[in-house]
Parts: sequence; C-alpha cells; structure tokens
Amino acid sequence: MWIKVVLLGAMVLTLLLFVRRWYGVKMQAGKRVAFFAFIAANAVAIVRPDDVTWVANRLGVGRGADLVLYLLVAAFVLAMLNTYLRFREMDRRYTELTRTLAIREAELVNRERGLLPAHHEHATVLPTVTVDD
Amino acid sequence: MPAETQNHDVWVVIPVFNEAQVIASVVEDVRRTFPNVVCVDDGSRDHSADEIAKTGAHLVRHPVNMGQGASLQTGLSYALARDGGRFFITFDADGQHRVEDAVAMLRLARGGAADVVLGSRFLAQSRDIPRIKRAMLRTVVALSPTARRLRLTDAHNGLRVLARPVAEQLRITMNGMAHASEIVTFLARSRARVIEVPVTILYTDYSMAKGQSVINGVNILFDLSVRQRGG
Repeated sequence: MWIKVVLLGAMVLTLLLFVRRWYGVKMQAGKRVAFFAFIAANAVAIVRPDDVTWVANRLGVGRGADLVLYLLVAAFVLAMLNTYLRFREMDRRYTELTRTLAIREAELVNRERGLLPAHHEHATVLPTVTVDD
Repeated sequence: MPAETQNHDVWVVIPVFNEAQVIASVVEDVRRTFPNVVCVDDGSRDHSADEIAKTGAHLVRHPVNMGQGASLQTGLSYALARDGGRFFITFDADGQHRVEDAVAMLRLARGGAADVVLGSRFLAQSRDIPRIKRAMLRTVVALSPTARRLRLTDAHNGLRVLARPVAEQLRITMNGMAHASEIVTFLARSRARVIEVPVTILYTDYSMAKGQSVINGVNILFDLSVRQRGG
C-alpha cells in the first residue's frame, strides 16, 4: 500500500530534520512552499471532497477522512519538531543575554563590596567588561 | 611564588541553587584555601544570595533560573574576565566535595601533569555510594562514547580543575544537567591532557536529598541524544 510509503517517508524526514541541523534559506523556502501546497490542498478538499477519497483509494486507504487523519499526524509531528528547534534556539539566545546582564551587574555589585578594584571616580559611563588579554 | 602558595591564581566556581542552609559554610571552608571564589546564584527562591553576600565570595546572580550548566559557564566567564586566573575549579555548593581533594587535583595541574583534572567517585574505594546511584552513573558513562575514549569512570562529578587555555575554549551550551557529559565530549575532542583522580564524596543527608536522582539520568540521556547531531 502506497500510504505506508508516504507515512514512513514522513517519519524518515522528521528524523532527518531532528538529527541534522537543516536551517537557513533552503529550509525556510521549503517550509513556505509546503505551507502554500497545504492551503491549496485544503481548498481542493473543501470544494471537491470526493477527490480526496479518490486519492485515498489510490494510496490504498479506504476513506478520504482516514487519509486526512494520517497526514495530519505526520504534519503535527513535523510542526512540533519545528517548534522544539525554535525554542531551543531562543533558549540559547536568552541564556546569552541573561549571562551578559548577570556578569555586568555582578561586576558593579562586587566592586561595591570591595572585591574588585575600584574604577576611576566620576565614571559617568558604565565600564565595559574588561578582559585581561 | 607567593601567588602560587596562596592560590591567588586560582578561581573556584560554585553554581548555587537553593542552598541557603549550607552555602555560607561551604564558601568559607573553600576560601580558607582558595581566596578567589565566585558563586553563581541561579535564581534561587530562598535567601542563598544573602548568604553568599555575607561571605567574601564574588556573587553573580542569574535573574531567572537557567540550570547548573548555564551557571557554570557564567561563573567561568566571570572568573576568566578577572586578572591573573590560571586555574579554574568547579565545586558543588552542597558540601559534597572536600577541599583537600581540590588541592591535590590542583597540585597535579600545577605540576604540568595535565591540563584538566577530573574527580572520580569510582577510582578508589569511595564510601557509601548508594547502589542504584552507582548503577545510574555507570550507565551514563557506558553510553557515552567519549567518556569511554578518555577512559573516564565518572562523567558526572562536579569537582574539576581546568587550566586557563581549556577554560577559555570551553563553551557550555547544555543549560541543564547534561553539561557534565558535554564537558567530557569537549575534552575528548580537544587536545587537552585529561586525568582522573579519586575523590571522596561526602554523602550527607543534605546532599543526598539534593543530588541527582535516578530519574534525572533519563533526562540527561535525552538531552544528550538530541544535541547538535552532525553539527
């Protein structure tokens, strides 16, 4: 049954996306094309539901509704994965931001506590982080 | 060299999360030997930060909780930005490590025997490691190819001594508990000379209650398996 090929293909694609870092322009473009194809398929399914059943029969699935459900599952997993990867990237950025803030704040606090050498008085601008090499 | 005998060229990094009960005494104990201590308060909900402020340790506060890996990296970044640090020691906040062990490890690093010295619970007759915990920690090592390559026996020990060049290259990206394995992977890929020495872990009731649970081992394995494959 062809549906098995389609669904297994979707799973393999998901796995590849997961373990490989496919970011960048190509990926972005691919997602957009997929989105428009999805809209077009929706329109067709609404106007001519029998066509979905016809496609389903071709793939070896009994009803069009079943085919839609199968594809929905595959699309859901892909979307979740996309969200996960995006969250991870956001996490990385906000860690960087928090760390920079925390260190800068700490330098001020620890200078006041007398643990760091005092900077020249009347410093109107916050001293930037000094690195010794 | 006075700088060496008094360990002014050493920075101890202690990640702290909700350790108000013990952190002050742990810090004071460490500071008797190592004057430069930086505590990273990882958004604790108790008064850990106040306790640290009472001591002579440098205090860095994460405004939100980000995890132990993130805290270690923050502490290292802070310490690296100070003048004169040649060795960097990571140390747990719950009092499970002994300062004597850190001193012995530092001596090896100073002697030039290694760039990185890692503590291990399993090399010597370590006292009273609960059996299930031992099994969990061994599994993590067994499943980590890099830990095997370096012939490490304990991938998740919080006591480490890093020489400056290694500390500068290290970028901990795993914010949670998987950072320990991440560090091992980094070391395996780098040219750093790594040795492992036996250390004694003081499994007090306090540290037992706070330590990594077995369930956490599952989380660590998941984090590692989805990290940056092929990248």
